[in-house]
Amino acid sequence: MQPKRVLVALAGTSADPDMLRLVASIAKAAKAEVIGIHVIEVRWNLPLDAVLEPELDRGEELLASAKKVADQAGFELDTELLQARDAAAAIVDTAVERKCDLIVVAMPFRRRLGRVYVGKTVQNVYVNAPCAVLAYRQEETR
Amino acid sequence: VTDDEGTDRAPETPSLEKRVTRPGRHVGDRYVRIVRPVDSGLRGHEGRYVATEEALLPSGRFARKLERMRRFLMGRPLDVGAEGEQQVTPLTGLAVLAPSNVSSSAYATEEILRALAIAGVAALVLAPPIALALVGVLGLVVLSESRVMRTYPSGGGSYLVARAELGTLPALVAASALLVDYILTVAVSVAAGVVAVLSAFPELSIYRLPVAVGLIALVALSHIRGVREAGALFAFPTYAYLGGMLALLAVGVVRVVLGDFPLAPPSPPLAPATDALLVLVVVRAFAGGAAALTGSEAVANVVPSFRPPQTRNAILTLLLMTSWLAAIFLGLTYLATVLGIVPDPAEIESVNSMVARAIFGAGPAHIALQFVTAIFLLVAANTGFAGFPRLAAVLANDRFMPRHFADRGARLSHSFGIFALAVVAAVVLVMFDASVTALVPLYTVAVFLAFFLSQSGMLRRSTRDREGRWWTWALFHGTGAAIFGGLVVAIVITRISQAWVALVLIPLLVLMLYSIHRHYRSVEDALVLPGDMRVPRVRPPVVVVPVARIDRAALQALAFARSISDTVKAVHVSTTRESGDEFRRRWQRTAPDIALDLVESPYRSLVPPLLRYIDALDKSDDRPITVVLSEFVPRHWWEWLLHSQTAFRLKAALLFRPNTIVIDVPYHHRDTADLSDRPGDTQS
Repeated sequence: MQPKRVLVALAGTSADPDMLRLVASIAKAAKAEVIGIHVIEVRWNLPLDAVLEPELDRGEELLASAKKVADQAGFELDTELLQARDAAAAIVDTAVERKCDLIVVAMPFRRRLGRVYVGKTVQNVYVNAPCAVLAYRQEETR
Repeated sequence: VTDDEGTDRAPETPSLEKRVTRPGRHVGDRYVRIVRPVDSGLRGHEGRYVATEEALLPSGRFARKLERMRRFLMGRPLDVGAEGEQQVTPLTGLAVLAPSNVSSSAYATEEILRALAIAGVAALVLAPPIALALVGVLGLVVLSESRVMRTYPSGGGSYLVARAELGTLPALVAASALLVDYILTVAVSVAAGVVAVLSAFPELSIYRLPVAVGLIALVALSHIRGVREAGALFAFPTYAYLGGMLALLAVGVVRVVLGDFPLAPPSPPLAPATDALLVLVVVRAFAGGAAALTGSEAVANVVPSFRPPQTRNAILTLLLMTSWLAAIFLGLTYLATVLGIVPDPAEIESVNSMVARAIFGAGPAHIALQFVTAIFLLVAANTGFAGFPRLAAVLANDRFMPRHFADRGARLSHSFGIFALAVVAAVVLVMFDASVTALVPLYTVAVFLAFFLSQSGMLRRSTRDREGRWWTWALFHGTGAAIFGGLVVAIVITRISQAWVALVLIPLLVLMLYSIHRHYRSVEDALVLPGDMRVPRVRPPVVVVPVARIDRAALQALAFARSISDTVKAVHVSTTRESGDEFRRRWQRTAPDIALDLVESPYRSLVPPLLRYIDALDKSDDRPITVVLSEFVPRHWWEWLLHSQTAFRLKAALLFRPNTIVIDVPYHHRDTADLSDRPGDTQS
């Protein structure tokens, strides 16, 4: 598969830098455009466009770090910050709107009682994405 | 900005943040896209933004490479929160501040012996008592400077004391004296160090001046990176000198105690001993040896550079460095007297070298100690670079020096002050061909003058406040003032041939500082707002657009002029009536709605007739005149040479014209501005 436009969902986990390096190897080989997004989930008791200062600051910080990693890895990363009720829906909607043919998500997981929990965002992206989804699996550091 | 239906609404004022609500794929799904200035290097929201490190990066490839090189040399920029990172511990502070003070041990003994030798060999036995008396004065300096640091912990030393207690003029004298001291500390120590190091390689002595200037640049660069980096870089020579001298003293004292008395090196014969003028000789020896006290004034100026508790750490640093100095100075004087060392009248070998040769023998240990001493003399310039920028910043904050001296550079150091000091010291070196040792008395006069003023200030404070055991402090500071005042007089009398420079330079500097202050005061008077004044409303100006030819650049300037006022006048300067008529015909086709005045200039001059025209227009209308200039900006810098720069000349001529606003409308080579009239454009 040679993707032309890749959407990377950045959640600010420890897996992000490694995931971006993996994306670099794919994007450089395919000469694909890469879009990095971070979605701030807004609680239902707040308006959707509420100004959430700490979350905005964190989002900007992690997008700036992602750009630095991308610079070092040698590809251009177009970044975008979103606010939504549900992160997975916003990721899928952005992928549709930007005509992406690959979504890359980090899948940091935890083991609890012998079972692996990956979180609802990754599962919902898997279920609803209209394109290929690549999940980068990495155990979450505590 | 969009409403709930996703319809775009025009924002009232431009904003860096754009929020666009987008519908999702499913019914009721929506998300907000926040278009923020992530790539601009600005972060923030709601009209409040912070410029990050990324914002400092230039956009061009060549400029980015230059910036990377600058960061490699000077270090990455530090934000204001990193102030603590640049503060130093007493151990690092010693490496920066001690060299100037401790290095005086390399020549203070020699100064005493050289003065005493005038009265004959027998007078040399007076050296240890004189050294002991000087160490007593050093103790007085430590105590009084500690009190100054406790009372004025914001740095500034003698200047601040004199300003608070004695008034502006004595404060400026103290400041000028200290500025002279720091400049000469750099110049003299670098010159002396380079001479000492290059004496081992005589064939390289022709490069003395470039090496000295290069060294000043190196020390300046290290200080621009920060005091902490400078301390780390110069810690080795400082501690190597300390170790070497302590080893010399230990071995020397042990050999003297064990009776293993080394033979004194042969010395040239001296003039026969005489009792005449013995008192004057002792005074001269005391004044010469007092060079050992120089350098201790710097600590009080840089208290804010220390880690908290700042005053305690600064006092500890002062105490440690003066203890080293006292130990080395006393030890060397004692050994020199016991060994019967007589200073070399030809000044080929220093007294320290003679002592080291006598104790260690003429071997590798002697050579190594000489080399370490030479390097240590070189790094004494550090003290000047630590003190000058801080003092200049304090003076700039008080509006006695240009404001740039108070600005912090990318590394939080006062880089303008460091740069200025490096340039002035290099100029002094070039003027004196890197041989400025003759100027030593000049800066000792400056230091003692500063000490005298600070002691007088503290005396005044003690007698005015009368707190606790005030009379003890009054006596103490009174003694200090008398000693340092006496030393200034003694040096001026005994070394007038060299000290006259200080007597001329310090008043000149005082005059300069005072003139700068007067300028800032007048500017402040002119700019300060009376009460709670609001932004005044003014009538639209009369806009004058000089047009050389009808082209895209001119049309862009005219379009802009029409957007700011209804009263727009274009003016064209022609050399003949025919060319003027031809211009008017073309004008009627392109801008018939804008009034045009033609000025005929048969002498082909452009700027003076335009200025006269603007003067005449100004007299005929009481509204402010705004001159809108169209300026063509070529693609490359060298293409500027191919254009006449009329707009630039006009700007320069109008800069100082009162009641005139000049607006430059640049037309870039790549501009593809749409100049066609749009519906709603104002028509005059």
